[in-house]
Amino acid sequence: MAKEKQHTGSSLLFDILEQHGVQHVFGYPGGAIMPIYDALYDSDVQHFLCRHEQGAAFSAVGYARASGKVGVCFATSGPGATNLITGLADALADSIPIVAITGQVPTAAMGSDAFQEIDIFGLSLACTKHSFQVTDINELPKVLHEAFAIALEGRQGPVLVDIPKDIQLAEITNSLENFSKLKNKVKLPPANVGSAIALLSQAKQPVLYVGGGVGMANAVPELRDFAQLTCLPSVSTLKGLGAVDPNDENYLGMLGMHGTKAANLAVQECDLLIAVGARFDDRVTGKLDEFAPNAKIIHFDIDTAEINKRRLANVAILGDLKINLPALAIPLEIENWQQKCQQMKIDCAWDYNHPGETIFAPAVLKEISDQMPENTCVTTDVGQHQMWAAQHMSFDDPSDWLTSGGMGTMGFGLPAAIGAQISRPNDCVITVTGDGSFMMNVQELSTIKRFQVPVKIVLIDNGKLGMVRQWQELFFAGRLSETDLSDNPDFVMLATAFNIKAREITKKSEVSEAIKEMIDHEGPYLLQVKINAEDNVWPLVPPNTGNDKMMEST
Amino acid sequence: MNRYQLAIQVDDKQVVLERILQVTRYRGFLIDGITAKVNTGTHIGYIELLVRSDRPIELLVDQINKLIDIKEVKLTNRAS
Repeated sequence: MAKEKQHTGSSLLFDILEQHGVQHVFGYPGGAIMPIYDALYDSDVQHFLCRHEQGAAFSAVGYARASGKVGVCFATSGPGATNLITGLADALADSIPIVAITGQVPTAAMGSDAFQEIDIFGLSLACTKHSFQVTDINELPKVLHEAFAIALEGRQGPVLVDIPKDIQLAEITNSLENFSKLKNKVKLPPANVGSAIALLSQAKQPVLYVGGGVGMANAVPELRDFAQLTCLPSVSTLKGLGAVDPNDENYLGMLGMHGTKAANLAVQECDLLIAVGARFDDRVTGKLDEFAPNAKIIHFDIDTAEINKRRLANVAILGDLKINLPALAIPLEIENWQQKCQQMKIDCAWDYNHPGETIFAPAVLKEISDQMPENTCVTTDVGQHQMWAAQHMSFDDPSDWLTSGGMGTMGFGLPAAIGAQISRPNDCVITVTGDGSFMMNVQELSTIKRFQVPVKIVLIDNGKLGMVRQWQELFFAGRLSETDLSDNPDFVMLATAFNIKAREITKKSEVSEAIKEMIDHEGPYLLQVKINAEDNVWPLVPPNTGNDKMMEST
Repeated sequence: MNRYQLAIQVDDKQVVLERILQVTRYRGFLIDGITAKVNTGTHIGYIELLVRSDRPIELLVDQINKLIDIKEVKLTNRAS
């Protein structure tokens, strides 16, 4: 029996956070969360003041993704809480374990349209894995323990705990016992390994389709052993990048809308697709009816609801990848197919030759990837720069590649990089952003300044909302509606105002040396890379089209 | 559209009914009828849901099952 201790709800919160190993939280104070911020004053937990609650939520997401720990963020009631919602939605879409603590107006005032009152509990239903509202101080310890257990159990995700101000102030004697056993866990059916092995051994043209679930399950070694033993040609989703060894000769790169031609053609031609921690997302499949039309499916997942959701599985293998993947690792006789895939990979190798003096973004990202130190963590925003980074950079582990996959949230990159850097202070952290996305959470430069977070910012600047502009050019008859950003601020001056060293480059000849200068710089750094506004991301599978009909240029 | 009847057993927690209704709507099912009651002795709630959709009912059953406070979801009638 643990020792009993007198607490307020707020001081108990910090004891339980510490009990769960939480050292760092991201947040923003306000009226209804003031008792918690008062208790923070006496706590060993380190708080990072962000400059917008959305920044706090994304920093918690970046922290969780880079470290494998639960990310924690705080916000006050009303607008503070609603500002967290985009971050929670992002964490739900990408299955990221975060615990968000929101202050709420006192229980007596709840439901009266009080100042800064919003029903965040109701709002949380569609954007969290689970949520709680604590209306009895005696429930608080159990709820907090459960919040951490739920965030991490099975398919991970965000959990919100809404705590009214009077509960934060209420007194409680607590033993700090962890009674977090979840009683309603979904029971998974036993894996049908025999059927899967039969399919695998009969297949002539099998492909391994790797998703973000591999990293979430800590199953990168098992996946790599599986890929090495079977010698399966493999492809990766956006979120799965880093799971397969990028130097594996049978690895064909990312599949889907901006995937490699080799990856997409191999999947379209395969007779067996082994999906591992992947969910047949629309950006992966293109036109669903035409996706891998001749393939049988073996689907590994932790989430029963993903099986048969978008594509029927011939065999489903539910549960822990660390246990289930090795059970299927058998040597295969598929040399002809391997050679065909390897040849396709050679035939569609990236071409970095680019006419003229203007900078070619894919070459910049390749150069950064080649120069960055081991264990560098890269975050991105959303748009063209994100797809170029996914195509042209290589990662040794999924925790080195943080990108908003499912939700595609612009504004993710900078605060996620701050969270990643705080969780991994000794590693280089680079955020690759665009001039549109960067401005969406630009206030977080202030967080960088305050804590001297040495994040490197690579701003790919085309003075456009590039991806939308690309689609307008290709699919909306060139009618460029609201995608011009040529009146952006002077980004070098902007960074300098936050005491961040900054430099603009405009010519190819400057690229290599500028990247070196950025990486060698000890503190935060912004490198503004001017590119041609007309550059597009290739290849591209047009909307509602099969992945074998990729556009490779205009 | 196909019609289905679901019998759902839940922990009697705040908003569990709201969660089920939200998931049902979001996943593309229309609700034709609902009855709900709670056994105050056991703190277990029972919800009967009549729904219709063109989508396979398994998609909804799996999504409701994922909710934390759900004990059991049973398809009791598959009428069309």
